[in-house]
Amino acid sequence: MISTLATIDVAFKALAPRNADWASIMPEICVAGLSLLCLLQAMFSPKALKSLIPVTARIGLCLVIAMACISNRAWSPTQGPVTTFAGLLQVTDLTMGFRLTFLISALLTSFLATRFLTERDAVIADYHHVLLVVTAAFMLLIQSHHFVTLFVSLETAAVGLYILVGYLRRSEASLEAGVKYLVAGGLSSALLLMGIVLVYGSLGGPGVDSLNFDQVALALNAGKATALTMVGVALIIGGAAFKLGAFPFQAWIPDVYQGAPTPTTTFLGTASKAAGAFILFILVTGPLQPLAGKLAPLLAVASILTLLVGNLAALAATDIKRVIALSGVSHAGFILAAITALLVAGDVEGFNRNLLSYYLLAYIAGSYLTAQALVSIPVADDHRRPLLGLRGMMRRSPTIASALGFGISSLAGIPPSIGFFAKLFILILLAKLKLWWIFGAALVSVALSIHYYFAILREAVVRPTLDQEEVPVIEVSPTAKFIIGTLSAVTLLGGLLFFL
Amino acid sequence: MEHTTLAHHLILAGLLFVAGLSGVLLRRNLLVVYMCLELMLTASTLALVAFSRFNQTMDGAILVFFVITVAAAEVAVGLALIVALFRRRGTVQSNELNTLCD
Repeated sequence: MISTLATIDVAFKALAPRNADWASIMPEICVAGLSLLCLLQAMFSPKALKSLIPVTARIGLCLVIAMACISNRAWSPTQGPVTTFAGLLQVTDLTMGFRLTFLISALLTSFLATRFLTERDAVIADYHHVLLVVTAAFMLLIQSHHFVTLFVSLETAAVGLYILVGYLRRSEASLEAGVKYLVAGGLSSALLLMGIVLVYGSLGGPGVDSLNFDQVALALNAGKATALTMVGVALIIGGAAFKLGAFPFQAWIPDVYQGAPTPTTTFLGTASKAAGAFILFILVTGPLQPLAGKLAPLLAVASILTLLVGNLAALAATDIKRVIALSGVSHAGFILAAITALLVAGDVEGFNRNLLSYYLLAYIAGSYLTAQALVSIPVADDHRRPLLGLRGMMRRSPTIASALGFGISSLAGIPPSIGFFAKLFILILLAKLKLWWIFGAALVSVALSIHYYFAILREAVVRPTLDQEEVPVIEVSPTAKFIIGTLSAVTLLGGLLFFL
Repeated sequence: MEHTTLAHHLILAGLLFVAGLSGVLLRRNLLVVYMCLELMLTASTLALVAFSRFNQTMDGAILVFFVITVAAAEVAVGLALIVALFRRRGTVQSNELNTLCD
């Protein structure tokens, strides 16, 4: 009996986390601590100081971004992936870019949310708390190296996002969007879990932990895949595609994006989409790499259909939030094209593996600039923003009009904006690999997107107001002006960063 | 008992899963839809336990605990949303949710 206990003790000691493990997830721990700090502040600080809660969150996030950058400097790309927590997590050369995507989205969402929620008489502290929990969960998700970490962090993020979507309890639209997202998200996680179970069961055996990504890859390489495994793999890919909003899992997007509070819409469109993109990339290049020959055509077809479906649906939409939502679907198509290309390219030298992070950071700059302009425009209902409402924006507020101009041009990919370079690099990679079908679909989608993106700009900038009537001037707060200025500079000059 | 094999468990789990999935796709009452979602998770946990037993690894059984915890959190948030929606709209029929459209 005692000897059995002794062996168990040794086994436990081998699995116990080392100090280096904890250091590797310091940014995540800090973000989670920050989220608790927001709640504590809401409980204990006097009423006059409550407005400091978002400030705490922002300063904290800036510090975490700095810390993540510094800790990344200590990590050299030559040392290869480092596995931590007995194979539960893995840090690679891409982790840094992935983390930054989520941290920057959370920071910009905080700027969007504060004034938006105050105007609608909603609590700010809780919003920041949930936002930071979701951010930390996403940051763990993109390091997961085991299906348990993948499932748990994905679900933590999903449950938080249900709250953020249905956050405006007095708004029917927000609640309806929340419930629709809940059912769609619940369905996708049930399918994902079944996929994980099938892969685990069909590849496992005595002594093989087939939830670990390395073991899955080993078993697939050994040719242990059965029909059951393939069904499981398809369900897992579907779960990631749902987060990304790729065809055929894009049906929930327009309604949820339209009904959700605009800060949440933007966070869903950027951080949640990024999470889907990164986890899909990690899965197809990690545990499912042995199936690359079968997965690449599947992803290619999904990418072409996502590009076309997103653009055609966006052409027909007349509400700004729906146009942005559906154009987001076509951006998901671009991301899928990049993932397909990276999968086909394998370990070939001469292209940047950070392509996905670049594309998403460019997309974040454009999205948040547009969203900052939208939330500065006063409307009765957050979910009713017809294109006509933008008419005369040039006279009502030149700041908002120029923010829309820079944001939309970057999303559409007009040179020399940052969005143009992001799209260009993906197109170059597709051409290099001779993936002409995706290349063609991507070009068509850029051409189509010009039409609906410029419909927004036409209303806001070009069209004159009817017979020079008096239009109410919109005041833009100094914080919003600062964000608009910074992001405009990023969209305009950020493209140059690629050449550094 | 020696006649129950892995296949028996998997067939039962598969039936539960299909029952849940068809409920989600066909029913209109949100509460029933939500129950069917939970049924799908239950089917997965049953398959997980069966695989864990027949593969002789503990990892699947451990994942079950995580799934149950996650499902509890999801139910807490989900029911709160559905109740809040019912208070505003007075209905939980999914075909009557048409505030959001173009």
